[in-house]
Amino acid sequence: MRLTAILSMAAKAAFPKDYRYGTSRPWTIAAKRLNPPGKKRRKVFIEPIAYEDWSVFKGDTVEILSGKDKGKQGKVAQVFRHRNWVILDGLNTHFRYIGKTADYRGTYIASEAPLLIRDISLVDPTDRKPTEVEWRFTEEGEKVRVSLRTGRIVPKPVFQRRDGIVPQQWKDGPKDTSPEDTLEKTYTPSLKTLEEEVMEKLGIEEPRRNRKTYWY
Amino acid sequence: MGVLNALLRGLVRGADRMAEFTSKRGSRTHYKGRGAQPTGVLTSSRKFVPVQAMIPQFVVPNLEGFKLKPYVSYRTPAGTEPAVTPEGLFSETVAPQIQKDFEEGSFDKDQLEKYGFEPTQEGKLFKLYPKNFIR
Repeated sequence: MRLTAILSMAAKAAFPKDYRYGTSRPWTIAAKRLNPPGKKRRKVFIEPIAYEDWSVFKGDTVEILSGKDKGKQGKVAQVFRHRNWVILDGLNTHFRYIGKTADYRGTYIASEAPLLIRDISLVDPTDRKPTEVEWRFTEEGEKVRVSLRTGRIVPKPVFQRRDGIVPQQWKDGPKDTSPEDTLEKTYTPSLKTLEEEVMEKLGIEEPRRNRKTYWY
Repeated sequence: MGVLNALLRGLVRGADRMAEFTSKRGSRTHYKGRGAQPTGVLTSSRKFVPVQAMIPQFVVPNLEGFKLKPYVSYRTPAGTEPAVTPEGLFSETVAPQIQKDFEEGSFDKDQLEKYGFEPTQEGKLFKLYPKNFIR
């Protein structure tokens, strides 16, 4: 491909400065309806929370502090860091019809609305009451969440993969390299490039040189 | 209806002018390639003569006793080796040699070629800058 074409390719998807993030992913039709190319909406103000201070993760048990389902505890299903939102499983729901066609009224389902981080509180695993949580370091140097009321550690929820694979229970297939072979250190540092080393190994001799070319 | 209105506001009714003009568009007689490198020479009698040196060949070493396979097991933990940096490469390959020569007293800063210093990339098959290999 032309070199100048490669150099001008965008590295990653760019969003405009006043892009309004919703609950749908940016490439879906619903997100495109929310952000048509010429729109100008009132800006959404979000509380700036630093990356290191983020305390709520997917799979955590949290309690709702305000709203329709105040006082109920639920598991976090999805986290939206750009809007400080959290969606809990089956809580804070409203009802809507899905899959509506011309003649079918659609299925009536309960869909969860997002909750702000302000209206959520992490639950202490020992006494199951809402607490304030702080990030502290253990003696080993691990960063953990500590509940301020009881002083106990709130463990981070185990990350479950969407494809259901549990890495520790994985059985290697015929095309899988075993962990020992992968982690074996066989690299000997040298100043030769890979191509020069392969040529040396196979005994290929190339006395010809390329003609000088120019590109603009 | 709402989506259509939004599209009308964004894209003016008509074709997408900023789309890339590939060989799939244009008339039957419009000829355009996709950037493939030529593998020969077109002579004056419009005959294509393939040049063997321009056809890429795969150089594959003998894979007897090679333990690595296409995929990596999920059980593998994250590696702990630090990434290879130019400073790291220098300190592992060249620095011990220079240290030894300096202690012996035979270090000469005008004779850096023996440690692997290349003053120009002219005359090399694989130049580092401008990089003339695809990897």
